[in-house]
Amino acid sequence: MMLMIRGIIILHLVSVCIAANTTKKISFETGNKLAVLRFEGDGVSDPLIEHLTEELRQSIRDLKIFNVQNRDITNDIHIFYPRGKDYWACWNKECAVDIGRQLRVNFVIAGNIQKKENNEFFINGRLFSVDMEMMMNEFAMNSSGITDSLLLEMKKMAFNVSGLPIPDTLLVDSDTTGTNVTENIKRKSKFNLPDFPKIPTKIKALMMSTAIPGSGQIWVEKKYPGYGFLGTEATLGLAALITYYKYNGAWSGFEKNYNAYQDGTDPHDLYELRSKIVKYAEDTRRYNIFMKNIRGVAASIWIVNMVHAYLVAPADDYFDGESFFDIEYRPDINQFQFNYNF
Amino acid sequence: MKRLLLLWIPLLFLLYCEDAKYSLDNPFDPENIDLRPPALFFHPPEILTTIDTSIAIELYGLELEPAAAAHLDIRYDWGSVTVDSVIPGPFFSGQNNPMEITVDEQGVLDIYLYYLPDIQSNQSEGGTWSLATVYLSTISTGESELLYGVNTILRDANNDSVRIKDFGKGYISDE
Repeated sequence: MMLMIRGIIILHLVSVCIAANTTKKISFETGNKLAVLRFEGDGVSDPLIEHLTEELRQSIRDLKIFNVQNRDITNDIHIFYPRGKDYWACWNKECAVDIGRQLRVNFVIAGNIQKKENNEFFINGRLFSVDMEMMMNEFAMNSSGITDSLLLEMKKMAFNVSGLPIPDTLLVDSDTTGTNVTENIKRKSKFNLPDFPKIPTKIKALMMSTAIPGSGQIWVEKKYPGYGFLGTEATLGLAALITYYKYNGAWSGFEKNYNAYQDGTDPHDLYELRSKIVKYAEDTRRYNIFMKNIRGVAASIWIVNMVHAYLVAPADDYFDGESFFDIEYRPDINQFQFNYNF
Repeated sequence: MKRLLLLWIPLLFLLYCEDAKYSLDNPFDPENIDLRPPALFFHPPEILTTIDTSIAIELYGLELEPAAAAHLDIRYDWGSVTVDSVIPGPFFSGQNNPMEITVDEQGVLDIYLYYLPDIQSNQSEGGTWSLATVYLSTISTGESELLYGVNTILRDANNDSVRIKDFGKGYISDE
């Protein structure tokens, strides 16, 4: 009996010893999806901005609080950004929430990096909740000096965003400030144009590709098909132009000889003119048929390009089922369905 | 600017071109004279003129084969017109001008034309050309006819006869 009690005690002691050397991993992962939009830069180069944004993504990802969306997926939605180059392109709640919906994430981070005098940088970031349609937090940081310092600031921001305390190792020479929420910062606009109703992305892509083939695809970041359509149509257009010039030459020859034939009286001249007229007329007919064929092919490709532009353009959630039209695949009936609603 | 240039692409496909439509109905066109080539005909085939007027009529060959000489036997109404002169046409013209002999006897005009050889050729290339131009004067009113006589013949450089399938007629109407 005593032997059994001793055995149990020893077993417990051994268990305690083993447990003392074991670290249990605790995860705070929330399962929330987060997209970090590319930061806007003012006086900072594009590659540096890209690098810093990616650094922020990676830092947040490492903290494992959010599921950070991959850069490629986030950049796919680049088309939803306002097109201007002036900074704070997507800074307000509506824009960020819209993009967040497109990306199907719960949170969106947008921000900008401004270069001040004396190599001083001002980093500003905002965390938006897509589900609650509100700005959760705003962060502002000052950084002076070199790129390494900026990277450090991005790491700090990652901790701020994740709601974790910034470790002491990162708190050297830092100036991290939580700022008040500023909701209504408007984009700078060169012209005071009235606010037109928003055109659905699919419709806009369709309209663009209708005007210039491939432009809609290029706009929605499907560049290869876009350039393909554009190049094909341009090639066909060039072929049509060359054929038109040839046709024009043949037509001039035809008119000149036919007029001479109608006014002529010399049998020898008429005899020679006749063969020229027949040849030029045949040439004009040949070029015309060729042009008609080019037109037919170009028109077909044009229509395909328009449909393609519509299909590849991402759908806007706020338009689905509310207005305009939509094509969706319904797996229950294994068919594409055309919906319209005005 | 590039975008503006791209806007021209759609316009390229709107280029409208009509098919060439024509009617080869010139009455002087040899194809419309209703002769089977190779043939000889008068040009113009009909002349409307007045008395005491000088007229010119060409003796034309249609798709003739190469020839070195010709005897053109022209029959005309010697009561209506008189022959003023004959000038060789381009058919027998090479680097040298052709030699021409004319014999006019009461309604029969014999024209002898000879190609004068040069270094490159000893006969004409053939084709549709005028062999000679005859200048006539009208001396009385009425209609008269111009014909190619049976002695009309063309010969090549080997003195072989050149085939002629058809002969045209000419009409002179004096008012």
